[in-house]
Order: sequence, then C-alpha cells, then structure tokens
Amino acid sequence: MFSQHVAKNLSAYCNGETPNNEARQIAEHLIGCNRCRRQFDEIKLGVRLAERLPQLSAPDSLWLDLQTQLDGAGAPRPAVSEPRFTFRSLRFVPVAALVLLTIGIGAFYFYPRPATPFWDVVRLNGSPRIAASPIDAKGRLALGQWLETDGSSRAQIDVGSIGQVEIDPNTRVRLVTAKPTEHRLELARGKMSARIWAPPRLFFVDTPAAVAADLGCSYTLEVDDSGAALLHVTMGWVALQLKDRESMVPAGASCATRPGIGPGTPYFEDASDAFRVALSKFDFGPAESRSMPTLDVLLNQARPRDSLTLWHLLPRVAETDRERVYDRLALLVAPPAGVTREGVLQLNEQMLQLWREKMVTSWRGVSQQQTLGDFPMAASGDASGLVR
Amino acid sequence: MEQRALMAEPIIDERVIAACQQGDREAFALLFESYKDKVFSIAVYSFGGDRAAASDVSQQIFLKLMTSINQFRGDSAFTTWLYRMVVNTCIDEQRKRKRFLPFGESLPMGRVENRRGPEKHYAKREVAECVQAAIKELKPKFRMPILLKYVEGLSYEEIATVLSCSKGTVASRLNRGHRALARKLSHLRDEVVVGD
Repeated sequence: MFSQHVAKNLSAYCNGETPNNEARQIAEHLIGCNRCRRQFDEIKLGVRLAERLPQLSAPDSLWLDLQTQLDGAGAPRPAVSEPRFTFRSLRFVPVAALVLLTIGIGAFYFYPRPATPFWDVVRLNGSPRIAASPIDAKGRLALGQWLETDGSSRAQIDVGSIGQVEIDPNTRVRLVTAKPTEHRLELARGKMSARIWAPPRLFFVDTPAAVAADLGCSYTLEVDDSGAALLHVTMGWVALQLKDRESMVPAGASCATRPGIGPGTPYFEDASDAFRVALSKFDFGPAESRSMPTLDVLLNQARPRDSLTLWHLLPRVAETDRERVYDRLALLVAPPAGVTREGVLQLNEQMLQLWREKMVTSWRGVSQQQTLGDFPMAASGDASGLVR
Repeated sequence: MEQRALMAEPIIDERVIAACQQGDREAFALLFESYKDKVFSIAVYSFGGDRAAASDVSQQIFLKLMTSINQFRGDSAFTTWLYRMVVNTCIDEQRKRKRFLPFGESLPMGRVENRRGPEKHYAKREVAECVQAAIKELKPKFRMPILLKYVEGLSYEEIATVLSCSKGTVASRLNRGHRALARKLSHLRDEVVVGD
C-alpha cells in the first residue's frame, strides 16, 4: 500500500508521465486520501486549462524581416561559407518557391494530426445505432456521440485499451471523454456491464444521479426513466459520487442513487429483506424515515458483514444516533488499537479509515474471496474516503 | 524520447540541419517554416500577449539560430537545442524589458458564461484568453514548463533537458504551475468541464 502522500507526483500522473505501477499506487492512494484528492482535482483543473493554450501563427512579416536582417549590412552573417549564398541569384527563386509549396502541401496532407478520439463498438445483437445510424458488425463511437440500443439490440464497447462495456437493450450511452487520464461515458438510461482492468479512477460513468468511478473492477449499472440508478459490483470496488457524498461499494454489494439526493448507503445483497427495506427508507424516504424505528431495524438486523453499511451510516445519521451506530458496529467488529469511541463519534478520518480496513475481512463473503481484493485505500495519515 | 521530438517535425532531419550548417538559405527557410509558429507562440505567451515584442524576439531567435547552428553537434535532439535557445532568449529579453516597460494590460479573466451553438466557439476562445492572461502572471520558472508541455508538446524528460534541470524539478514546477492556474481560474471549472 502506498502510504506516502502523492501530491508532488500528481501533475506527472495527470500527464501520463508516471510508470504504470506508480500510477496505480497513486490512483489507489487517491481513493482513500481526501487531502491528496482535493489537490488532484485542483491539478487536473490546471491541466485542463493549460490544454486550452493554442499554438499561435507567426505573422508572415516575420520571414521578410528576417531575410532583411540576414541580407542587411552589419546583420549577423550565417556561419557558412559565402559561396553557398550565391543562390540569392533569382534563378533559384522559382525552385525554392516550388519546393516550399510542395512541402507545404505535403505537410498539410501527411502531417500527423491528432485523431478524433473514438472507441470501437461491436454489435452483439439486433441493430445498435451510433449517432442515430445503425452499425454493421462493428462501428466507432466518437467523442460526443450517442450509442443506443432498442429492445432487441446489444453492443459491446472497447474502452480504449483499459476494458470493455456491454450495453444491454433499451440503453442510451454517450462517449464523454477519451483521454489517457480519463475515460468517461454517460449512461442516460438502460443497463451496462463494465469490466475494467486499468488502474483505479481512470474510467467513469456519469448518470443523472451520481458518477460511478471505477476502482479496478467489474460491475453493472442500471438507470431507470426517472434517472434513479442501481449499482451492483461483481469484482473489486466502485465509488459512487455526487458532489461531496460518496459511497464505496465492494464486490457483492449494491448501492442505489437518486437524482438530487446522490448515492445511498451500500449494502450486501445477502442482507435480510427487512434490512434492505429499512435502508431504502433511510436513504431515500422522507426525513422522518431516519428516525428511531428505521435505525432500530438496521442495527438489529445487521450482521458482521453489514458493517459495510453501518460504517457508511456513521457520518450520515443524526449526531444523537451516532453513538448507537458506533456501539452496534463495535459489537460486530471490534475497533482496532488506536481507534477510540470519542474519535469515531467526532468522525476522525484516520480512525474511521483504520477501522474500515479491519472490517474489510468480514466483507469477504465465501463467494467473494477471490474477487473483492484489498480495500483500495492508502494507509496514509488522513486517508478517509469518508462518506456523508 | 528524442526520436519522438524529431518525429513531431518530420520535415526536419539531419540533412536539412547539415544543409543549414552549410549556409543553405533554402534549408533555413524550411527550418523556419517548421518552427516559426512554435517559437512565436512561446514568445507571445512569454511576453503576456505582446505580439510585437514576440515578433522581435522570434526574429532574434532565428538570427541566433542561423549564426550558431554550426555549434549544434547532434549531442541532443535538435528540438531540445532549439528550445533551450528559445527559453534563454525569452528570459534574457524579459529581463531587459522589465526595466523599461510598464506592466502590460491584463487580458480578461472574468467569468465566461456557458454558451451553446455558435457562441460556444467564442466562449472557448475567451477561456483560452483567460488562460493566456493567467499564464502571463506566472513566474517564468513555472510558466516555461507549462509552455513547453502544452504548446510544444514536450515530455518531462525533454523539458528537463531544455531547462537544464531534473525531471523531478519539472514535475514540481508543473505542479505549482497547474495549481496556480487552477486557483486563478477556478471560476472556469464548469466551462472547462462542459467544454470537454
């Protein structure tokens, strides 16, 4: 685990100047360290602004002035043998002009220009459409274009070289960003399954209710007509974010999100029905749903594995209820050395981080042993990933 | 790395440089055509958008190039050698002018409203102008790495060679430059993200 803060490497990371293993360590650290993540956001903005600097065109008069200088008396002479300059003679002018013209035309046609970013799309079923036109066996999804499937169509997108996304029927996705440091899709409606094998936080999916940030994983994401979304993670981790509200969802867990509210609390799908219903009420019900009866159900029904949910609840419950959540959580997974009741009640980020690292072992269900992986957090000082 | 830099200007190869060293004006014209916009851009950004000053400095740079190209031995990439000359000339000239010139008029750094359709193009241009204005206010040691990275497209290693410093120093200066830009232009965050 990368325990040092990574602020000094963030520009190199954004510019793709760090080796793969270091980039991965930085990405993992960023997941857990709020301090470095704030700096990362700032530097990323700086990078994006700097990318807007255009290359300017030199004025035509520059060459004429330069020639005058070169030919003028007292001007610096080229460090050359004088006879080479005999082609001041006019007979070479048309030849020189022709050469320059040829070079100019050649450069225009052959100079390597940055290609418009696109991702390859493969038709799996039916007739998926890109920019409203049906594709054959294969197609290309260019920046800004929509890929749509009808009730009987499916497609697969190659996310650059970092992964694949399968698009289910009745789905609408758009390619938003295709850069080495950021690959981003917008899922307006429907369902997609992503398998990403790149370092964390390179692949993002925008939905109307949150952004799903890949932390090295496989997952499905479904958006209904109201814009509400449901994330289900099958391998690794995914962060669901909306503004400063964030939920970290491991393999085997799900998390719902609603427009205007943001991500709810993650839960394992093998939690009891009563637990899941209470959690939905707590997350998205009216304000009074957060009251004692709902919380009672959550606390009573929670198993050690549901410490995932309770841990996320700590900063989300009313201050007066936090002690109850702490007490139940402490019974399920005893706090490690260095984590105090007072510290947790004050939402000390370092303590919450330490405690969570201990909980992770209980989050590995039998079926998840091979798929959850290490929690993608750094063991750094103020690392948190604190959700609110 | 150097290979990449040369590949960026496919027209200029050893033969052209050798011809320039022999005083071939035609070859020099070719060299000029290949680098004039890059040199001029760095000069404009170094002189806070003053195109007249940038023209003068660009001229100086190409004159120097012409008179000293015999000193280029091919130990480094030609681009590295050229950009080192560009950076040094710009910095020297800035020092000279600093004593005589009043502080230039700042380009606008105000809010750029989100716009659609044809107006988007102008909004993009305004963002670019705001960035130019902010770049102007950076110290040269933070400005130059940004210009070499984003205007010239050099790698960290190439920038380090041009500036005669370590890659770590380049990374550190870019870090500070990026953060300074972000702070000065934080109000453009939405514009930049939407623009993407």
